[in-house]
Order: sequence, then C-alpha cells, then structure tokens
Amino acid sequence: MNSTWFLYMFFTAVLLFTGIYCLLTMRNLIKLFIGIEVIGKAISLTLVATGLAKRNVLAAQSLVVTYIVVEVSLVAVALALIINIYRKTKSLDIRQLAKLKG
Amino acid sequence: MVLQILLLVGLALFSVMAILVKDLLKAAISLAAASLLLGIIFFRMNAPYAGVFEISVVAGLITVLFMLTIALTKGGDSAESKVASFAFPAFFVVFIVIDALIMKKLIQKVPALPGPEEAGTFGQVLWNTRTLDLVGQIAVIFAGVFAVLALFRKGDKKDE
Repeated sequence: MNSTWFLYMFFTAVLLFTGIYCLLTMRNLIKLFIGIEVIGKAISLTLVATGLAKRNVLAAQSLVVTYIVVEVSLVAVALALIINIYRKTKSLDIRQLAKLKG
Repeated sequence: MVLQILLLVGLALFSVMAILVKDLLKAAISLAAASLLLGIIFFRMNAPYAGVFEISVVAGLITVLFMLTIALTKGGDSAESKVASFAFPAFFVVFIVIDALIMKKLIQKVPALPGPEEAGTFGQVLWNTRTLDLVGQIAVIFAGVFAVLALFRKGDKKDE
C-alpha cells in the first residue's frame, strides 16, 4: 500500500477514536448517535481510500453508496426510537434507560 | 495533496466539534460540515458518486432529521459529564501521537495484494457486479419505513 493510504488511515483512526470516545463518555442519546455517525464517516473514508489504493474506486463507491442507504434507514429508525424514548421518560439521558423495567 | 490534508484536518476538527459542543443544534451543523468536507474529499479521490451521495444524503437529509429530532425533544435535559469534555484534549493528543508512530512504522510494510484492475463505468459495476447489494438496499429501505411506521402508530385507546 502506498503512503497516501496510510495518511487516510491515520485520519480514519482519528475519526474512530473521536466516535468511540463520544460513545463511551457522553450521556445524551442524540450525542451518542452523533458519535455513531462520526464512526460511519471513518468507515466511508476507509472504503474509498482502500478502493483508490487498489485501483478499484468504482467498487468502493458502490459499497459507499450502499452504506449510505443503510445509514439513512438506521438514522430514521434510531431517531424515531429516540423521540419515543423522550415521550416516555421526558429525558434523553442514557442513565434513565437503565431504570426502565419491562 | 496539501489541500487534501487540509480537508482531512477540517473533517477531523468538525467531527471533534460535533461531539464536544454543548448545543445539540451546533453539533448537528458541525456534523453536516464534516460530511460536506468528506464529500469534497471523495470528489478529489475520483469518487464523484460517493461524494454526491455523501453531500446530498448525509449532509442534507440526515442533518434535517437530526434537527427535527432536536426540535421535537428540545434537546433533552441530560447534562454531559464535564470531566469527559475536559479530558478529551489530553486523550486526543496522546492518541494522535500513538497513531502517527504506528502509521510511520507500518508505511511500506503492508503489502498491496494483487487484484484485477476494474473496467467500465460506475453504473456497470453497480448493476452488474453488485446487484444483490441493490436488492439488499431496497429491503433495508422498506424495513426502515415499516419500523418508523410501527414506532409512530397511534396506540389503541385501551392501552392508554
């Protein structure tokens, strides 16, 4: 792999770290989801960078397009869940969910 | 290459801003700005279709969905841990140093496995070689639509 690929991987790792830090430390559900989105960006960047390095940009692009479609469905469902959780608990604090009993 | 590095730095900075800013609306806008930069990076990496999807869908649609949710929930009332926000820069710098050292060690040591070079257009690759992905995409979209419908259906009066 060429050195440009390592540059992209460096930034991918930075994005991954940022997203995982958000998931581990934040409490607001919307913030947690923003963390997941940041991790998603790292994944997209990895796919295209690897496609570019292996001269398979077209296949990488089609994978990224598929990923984005999946991401949209995921975001729609997750945000609908967040709204429902807010209606039930009147809070977006993740710790409130631990108190729920089924 | 310098412009590409600047764009990547901007992407990382906006992503960091998105998780550190207290105001959720500003966080959503930072995330949209990060998506916009990622789209431009894709354009410069000869991946225009991925760039178009990233800018139109992720920077546009998903940001609108986030803003709608923030408006409907008024951002919630959870206070973030102050320690997490203050400790982030220290962890971030340590991680960047470790990341840079690892990448420097790995340069030229990861072999690029040989593979056939692709030919044709994006449409041919998407329709001919990734046909099942398209079927999967349709299934995922339907699953998402039905899930949202199920989550927002009106409950029976008996349940309330």
